[in-house]
Amino acid sequence: MASRKESSSVSSTAMASTGGTLDSPVKQIQIEGLVVLKIIKHYQEEGQGSEVVQGVLLGLVVDDRLEITNCFPFPQHTEDDADFDEVQYQMEMMRSLRHVNIDHLHVGWYQSTYYGSFVSRALLDSQFSYQHAIEESVVLIYDPIKTAQGSLSLKAYRLTPKLMEICKEKDFTPEGLKKANIGFEQMFEEVPIVIKNSHLINVLMWELEDKSTVADKHELLNLSSSNHLEKSLQLLMDRVDDMSQDIVKYNTYSRNLSKQQQQKHQYLQRRQQENAQRQSRGEPPLPEEDISKLFKPPQPPPRMDTLLIAGQINNYCQNVKEFTSQNLGKLFMAETEGAREMQTHLNDAHRSSLHFHFLFFFL
Amino acid sequence: MSRFFARSDSESEESSSDDEITDKAPGATFKQSLLLSDDEEDTKRVVRSAKDKRFEELTNLIKTIRNAMKIRDMSKCLEEFEQLCRAFLKSKNIVDKEGIPPFYIRLLADLEDYLNQLWEDKEGKKKMNKNNAKALSTLRQKIRKYNRDFESEIAAYKENPQESADEEEEEKEPEDSGSSSDSEGEVSSKSFLKKKPEAPSEATDRSQTAKESEDKSSSSDEDDDDDDDDGDWSPSDSDSRSETSDKEEENALKRKRLVTFLKVKRSQDTEKPGVRKEERKKKPKQKEQIEEEAEEEGGWEKVNRGVPLVKEKPKMFAKGTEINTAVVVKKLNEILQARGKKGTDRAAQIELFHALAAIAAENNLGQGILVKIKFNIIASLYDYNPNLAAFMKPDMWKKCLDCIDELLDILFEHNNIFIGENIAEDSENLAVSDQPFRVRGCILTLVERMDEEFTKIMQNTDPHSQEYVDNLKDEGRVCGIVDRLLTYMENKGSTEEICRVYLRRIMHTYYKFDYKAHRRSLGLQGETKSEQDQEENKEENKEENKEENKEESEGEDSAVIMDRLCKFIYAKDRTDRIRTCAILCHIYHHALHSRWYQARDLMLMSHLQDNIQHADPPVQILYNRTMVQLGICAFRQGMIKDAHNALLDIQSSGRAKELLGQGLLMRNMQERNAEQEKIEKRRQVPFHMHINLELLECVYLVSAMLLEIPYMAAHEFDARRRMISKQFHHQLRVGERQPLLGPPESMREHVVAASKAMKMGDWRTCHSFIINEKMNSKVWDLFPEIQRVREMLVRKIQEESLRTYLFTYSSVYDSISMATLSEMFELEMPTVHSIISKMIINEELMASLDQPTQTVMMHRTEPTSLQNMALKLAEKLGNLVENNERVSDLKQGIYGGYFNRDQKGGYQQKQSYQRGMLNFTEVVSCFMSMR
Repeated sequence: MASRKESSSVSSTAMASTGGTLDSPVKQIQIEGLVVLKIIKHYQEEGQGSEVVQGVLLGLVVDDRLEITNCFPFPQHTEDDADFDEVQYQMEMMRSLRHVNIDHLHVGWYQSTYYGSFVSRALLDSQFSYQHAIEESVVLIYDPIKTAQGSLSLKAYRLTPKLMEICKEKDFTPEGLKKANIGFEQMFEEVPIVIKNSHLINVLMWELEDKSTVADKHELLNLSSSNHLEKSLQLLMDRVDDMSQDIVKYNTYSRNLSKQQQQKHQYLQRRQQENAQRQSRGEPPLPEEDISKLFKPPQPPPRMDTLLIAGQINNYCQNVKEFTSQNLGKLFMAETEGAREMQTHLNDAHRSSLHFHFLFFFL
Repeated sequence: MSRFFARSDSESEESSSDDEITDKAPGATFKQSLLLSDDEEDTKRVVRSAKDKRFEELTNLIKTIRNAMKIRDMSKCLEEFEQLCRAFLKSKNIVDKEGIPPFYIRLLADLEDYLNQLWEDKEGKKKMNKNNAKALSTLRQKIRKYNRDFESEIAAYKENPQESADEEEEEKEPEDSGSSSDSEGEVSSKSFLKKKPEAPSEATDRSQTAKESEDKSSSSDEDDDDDDDDGDWSPSDSDSRSETSDKEEENALKRKRLVTFLKVKRSQDTEKPGVRKEERKKKPKQKEQIEEEAEEEGGWEKVNRGVPLVKEKPKMFAKGTEINTAVVVKKLNEILQARGKKGTDRAAQIELFHALAAIAAENNLGQGILVKIKFNIIASLYDYNPNLAAFMKPDMWKKCLDCIDELLDILFEHNNIFIGENIAEDSENLAVSDQPFRVRGCILTLVERMDEEFTKIMQNTDPHSQEYVDNLKDEGRVCGIVDRLLTYMENKGSTEEICRVYLRRIMHTYYKFDYKAHRRSLGLQGETKSEQDQEENKEENKEENKEENKEESEGEDSAVIMDRLCKFIYAKDRTDRIRTCAILCHIYHHALHSRWYQARDLMLMSHLQDNIQHADPPVQILYNRTMVQLGICAFRQGMIKDAHNALLDIQSSGRAKELLGQGLLMRNMQERNAEQEKIEKRRQVPFHMHINLELLECVYLVSAMLLEIPYMAAHEFDARRRMISKQFHHQLRVGERQPLLGPPESMREHVVAASKAMKMGDWRTCHSFIINEKMNSKVWDLFPEIQRVREMLVRKIQEESLRTYLFTYSSVYDSISMATLSEMFELEMPTVHSIISKMIINEELMASLDQPTQTVMMHRTEPTSLQNMALKLAEKLGNLVENNERVSDLKQGIYGGYFNRDQKGGYQQKQSYQRGMLNFTEVVSCFMSMR
């Protein structure tokens, strides 16, 4: 465990260096080891399979750095206590924590994810309300499956100011989104994470590192990847299906719209001709009619979902990419060891990649 | 009275009774008549006391009326009179037998006179209070009306109050004089003789006729509401009234005397009837003989003797009628005319027919008339239930069977009887003569109707009750009758009729499994064994709802019979329907006895599948039954595919129960109103002919499993895979949805569990799920050749499991030894070899056989699951791109300013999608670089 955390902290610091320039009040997030452990523990205890666990993050802002020093989980909902007051519970919890002298400032929330599928309407809405109320709040996404495979996956996201504006206006029509000029990449911004521990803990970890055997670290080198890949592909496929549907919907919408435009145009032309005739005859022109009443534009489909799906697809792709690149590395390592039986796997991977390639060529 | 009189008397009675029956008042209800008939029986038993009671009641009432008359209390009078009428109605039965009591007539006459008197006495009327005046007028009207029925009696009474009263008395006595001489009778007859000349003969005659007709009317359950008949009697009515006025004074005087007389009368009355009755019963024949003798003598005695006969058998012949064919036919027609009329008592009618038959038999009128009457009895038995939906009561049914049996007996015994529907009523020859009898009627129709009734009875009996079994026992008799009719028809009937009766026979044969022939074909085992078998078979029989009553008498195999009958029908029948039914039954019978190829060929040759939808529902039901049986037969023969195809239509609808006519599905009333439901109910197949639905479903599911599981394994990644059996998939899905999977309970669960095992190629588990105690008792034991079917099933399971195994796991093998496979699936090497070869030839399995080592070398060309997934994804992405392009095409196909503005955004959007996909390219390039 200790080693894993170490590595993750390394990777996250590496990430922090990539995303340097962010125009938000929070440029860096510093997480206490305690918080990480608590989140992991929470999932371990309550989350199963595709179930999602959530909780509240507590901390404070120092300059442009958000320090998350503690957290507590939302209680699991069951049918019997439908009238459970969540807000009440949170307030109560924070008050109690203040009594024991812990940071009690609400700075965001965390959520677990299933194979990286977290870009959803629900997340968007709740993060929007958080960010609306507390400007610097973030959402921490914890991926337990990846973590189980050997590398801690914890990511912090915030909504971009653009998206915030759109959400504020609740304008999800194609035009609205166009005006905002927002793509799926501009929806969320990832904030670099640094895991910080006290010196004492660091010392302890070094000690543990020394004691841990080599076998403990071998988890990282697990070569059986097809299951994960398959799952990801499955989910990806579902999203692609959704996307197709959305596009078809949009397609019909735009076709209807253009048809109507045409009708409107014709109507206007006819009217103009008539008016011209009347003028030549010396009659008064026809009164102006409300054209918008005559031609009600079709209901435009909300495009937010499409955006979200695109974001999700992007996310999956990144996951797959990351995963495959890692696995390829592992495979090369294995090959150098002379493991012959790896060949087949590689073949698989290669073949599937070929298909991808073909596809993108087509695009 | 002369002989002439007697004759004319009976004639007139005949005609009048005709009228009575035809003009029957609709008010008379069925129930009432039933009650009356009950009463009749009662009175026969305790005649004396009942009569006593009634008459006493009457006299008491009369007494009060007279008292009321004395004190001029009209309201009281009215009240009592109404009661009296009611009481008289009640005692009608007795009155029918005994004649109207004279004291009653006397009262009626007196009362009328008295009322008229009061009516005319204007002053007296004025003095009366309002109530009384009102009662007076109503009473007067009432009695006028009422008295019309008794006019002649009253007239007779008024003519000679004293005498007629006596005569009434004596009239009953002479009947005994012929048989026995009881002292009183002698005396009275003497007195009668003495008085006779004095009494005006016409009056007595009149009274006689009236009385008889009265009897008639009352016995035919008529209420006294005889307003309709007014016309008949009105002239005499006026006569009697004129007479009345003359005799008013006389009557007033006599009233007192009568009261005293009454008392005496009563005591006499009470003693006689019992004796008389017994005697009468003893000697109906004797009487007739006497009657005939008396005919020679002439004179009035004979007429008097005729009276009791009429009284005894109210509707039959008056005494003195020579019972000959013509008369009986006439009578028969008379009874027949009442048939179907609203107020007719059907039970009584049947009784009448029986009585008529008895009379006909007694008088040796020949078989012709007997046959005719029998026809009518049966017809009226069928008529007994006015409602088409209602079924016969057991006793009626028994009677009906008996009658038909008797009729057939007669027909067989006497070769010279011709029956036919098309013999006209006039050309009938019923009399005994040299000519053969000709009778109108169709025995075939009757038997067909009987068969339908039987079906109806079976439909309406609870199939799980002892009653059903009891009823089912009659099936033997029904079959017997059909058989007898068949032999009869073969000699006499036309081809059409033969076809019809053959069809009946076929209908009773086709669904029964011929165990005898089956055993014979198996080769006779030891006697004890076969007996045991029989018992077992019988048990199976019950379960399978097949017929227990095998025609033991029939030496022939049912197959031979079916063949003969059906072929005759194929050759001779001209109506399409009979042939269709015969073909279907034939196929069913073949299928039932596992003659699959014959059954299938017949089905294909008949081309019924093409046009069965134009047939009427019962035939369609038969067709469905046949198809199902065919499917089950195919299954037994191991033709899984054929079985599946045959059952697919029935099973996939989910309405197998309804389609086979084995029950109605619960549906809301919108789809089917009550009327339709009734019709559908009538179409139901009786329980003993049912095809076990669970068996049907199990056969279907198992055959679907044997087809579907290998197919699924072979096409696991085929995007365009279609389902072979929707229902089977549905069952699988239901099984998957279960949150907790316990050991299978129901048949379906067993099949689902077996399917899952088969999916893994685990034939042993699959086998244990399909064939085990539970499934045996539920399904497999219902087959006649259990062992063979089980063996076939095991074999099929092994083979299909092998195929599934190869499909599913070929990707993990480089090569596999056939010996191993044969060991794994417990199949012989050649079988394994043939299966694998077939798979290779069909390009289902990418492999080749290595002969020397007896191994299968996999070519490993099938993509892995991940690759398959990627392929699928690629396909989907292709779709997506296509759709996307369509959107952008629309935008580039620019129209108007709106889209121009849009274009940039749209393009950008598209780009963004592409960028998402570019991530893939990166992945791919990674892969590429690695290679």
